[in-house]
Amino acid sequence: MRIPFVIVASLAIIWPWLSAASFAQQSTSAGAANPLPQAEASPNDIEGGQMFATTCGFCHQDGGRHAGKGPKLSKSERSDEYLIERIKKGKVGAMPAYGSVFTDGQIIAILAYIRGLDD
Amino acid sequence: MTFQERYLVGCAALAVAALVTVSPTRAQDAAALNAEAAQNDWPTYHGTYKSYHYSGLDQINAGNVKNLEIAWMHFPERATRGIQSTPLAIGGVLYYSGSYSRVWALDGATGKTIWSYAPELDEELVAKQTHSPYNRGIAIGHGNLYVGTVDGRLIALDVKTGKQQWDTKLLDSKKMTVGFTGAPLVVKDMVIIGAQGGEWPHRGPIFGVDGKTGQKKWEFFTVAGTEEAKATWGGDSWRTGGGGGWMPGTYDPETNSVWWGTGNPAPLYDWAGADWKKSGPRPGDNLYTTSVIALDPDTGKLKFYHQELPHDAWDFDSSVGEFVMIDRGGKKLVVHANKGGHIFVYDRSNAKIENVWPLVKNINFVKSIDPKTGELIGRRDLPEGKVEPPLCPAIMGGISWNSGAYNPKNGLFYRIGQEWCMELTVEKTTPILEPMAQLNIGATFKPVAPPDGPARGHLSARDPVTGAKKWEVQYKYPPLASVLATAGNLVFVPDSEGVVHAYNADTGEELWSRNNGMGHNAGIISYMAGGKQYIAVPAGWGSLVSDEFVALFGEPFKSMTKNTGALVVFTLRQ
Repeated sequence: MRIPFVIVASLAIIWPWLSAASFAQQSTSAGAANPLPQAEASPNDIEGGQMFATTCGFCHQDGGRHAGKGPKLSKSERSDEYLIERIKKGKVGAMPAYGSVFTDGQIIAILAYIRGLDD
Repeated sequence: MTFQERYLVGCAALAVAALVTVSPTRAQDAAALNAEAAQNDWPTYHGTYKSYHYSGLDQINAGNVKNLEIAWMHFPERATRGIQSTPLAIGGVLYYSGSYSRVWALDGATGKTIWSYAPELDEELVAKQTHSPYNRGIAIGHGNLYVGTVDGRLIALDVKTGKQQWDTKLLDSKKMTVGFTGAPLVVKDMVIIGAQGGEWPHRGPIFGVDGKTGQKKWEFFTVAGTEEAKATWGGDSWRTGGGGGWMPGTYDPETNSVWWGTGNPAPLYDWAGADWKKSGPRPGDNLYTTSVIALDPDTGKLKFYHQELPHDAWDFDSSVGEFVMIDRGGKKLVVHANKGGHIFVYDRSNAKIENVWPLVKNINFVKSIDPKTGELIGRRDLPEGKVEPPLCPAIMGGISWNSGAYNPKNGLFYRIGQEWCMELTVEKTTPILEPMAQLNIGATFKPVAPPDGPARGHLSARDPVTGAKKWEVQYKYPPLASVLATAGNLVFVPDSEGVVHAYNADTGEELWSRNNGMGHNAGIISYMAGGKQYIAVPAGWGSLVSDEFVALFGEPFKSMTKNTGALVVFTLRQ
């Protein structure tokens, strides 16, 4: 099943408030481990496009619009469940597993970014 | 007694003391390591400390290379991302590493396995890594074989038996995400290894470890490793600066200096544009990233350095590139290739620039580099947004991480260059540090053909100091493996289509070739076993750079087998 883009985008936007408790916890631990202010969690952390340009764009090129080290993602016919599962579990020798690295909210934000891509 | 006489007597006394205190084996090791040519053995990653990737053997030569055929092969297990390592050979035994830091010791004449070793890695961590699980090489010394791991350890094995001697955790890879993929370097009593870094937001340390005990002796941060360096990072940006030393350097015994190339700063692409000294994510020169540094091997203290690209805004590391040590006209020089496509020539007593010359045609990140001072002229700093025209070279570099070769007999330097560019949109990013560090790229991009023709590669034979070109061979697809030169007047190039070529060293005429069935992305060496000369080359495809080839070129790379490999060893037909 494909989650409508509007719902995904809305989830991405409201996720920080839905997960306020867990984010507060993450923010505290981040602050303790590193004094960098930008390491602290904020609603901006969950901007899917920025996360893509930070990490995912190394392999999925032209912002996911073009095949490179990783496959093209824009207009992907893969289901949302498939993409979320792949982001979480990765693929040995090809893609890292982000399931314990990114929060569910961040992964949904990345999915929202992918679904919003033109060609 | 005159000063000169006292000096001579002193030298003689030192020489006698050295003979008394140094074991014959160790003296032999030192002689082999310090020679210009690798002879019967290939004792260190770059051949010898001179880093020529040159074998003094000439049993296989331009006259008989047509009779070269396969002697034996070896197939590693779990060859995820192919084979990317350079084998070593000592006393007729060949040693090599594969993905997951697996190591094999093989009879150099027959290929028969003497021992094998597979470390237990943190597989859960490996599954979260991008620059993984490949391993690019090993070091041998003190009766040990040393290999790094992607989960942050340096391991010593008994070179005779493969039995583990020690296992030292050097990096918190669960936090930093990256570990070690590059070969270690043995220098005197120490083994030295550099961490991955670059786009990974940490400080990219290089370590000195006691070879006998595994005890960490020193750690040098390539990001803000001194107070002087820290002042070149605005705010707290030094904490997440990247750097690293992910390929092995070499050692100059005359100055007791370890030369090492460092990685790029993070994020790769910097949206400050021309205002990079004052604004953006990492304001300032960002020392000691994208630099060549000389460290004291005993203490890890910095002796001198040259930053090849101050405030590197293009991901053009100095980690790539061997350090070719040549003497010319009374000068002691070292020649080092930078990923951006330039060759830097230094005075090796102090890293002062002697010359800089471009190896590739398609360079537009600078207009030029001053050959007298090394200053970047007309640097192209990239503000946020789409970059027009595309950046040249592409992120894969004008020069990749595998090594060139130098033939001291004819004075020619053989180097692979790559011609390609990249469409790029620079975007503001925030380093992700929790729960574990993530890549910090700062852009989206797509490699494209350069303005002067298709994406391609070339091998050129040049004067290493002036860059004057004697001959060149063009390749439709850039070769990604190291080059080997031999005293048999030969140059070997393992290419990306899977073919190993042997060329006449003076003319570039192709004398022999053989298809190994999959692309090459590793080293190539020569050694002697049982009175015969062998050429050993790992084949195996699937590195991060080679993964770009499907989108750029289509076939044969679309159908090329990945995640497998073979060590192929050649000798002359009886």
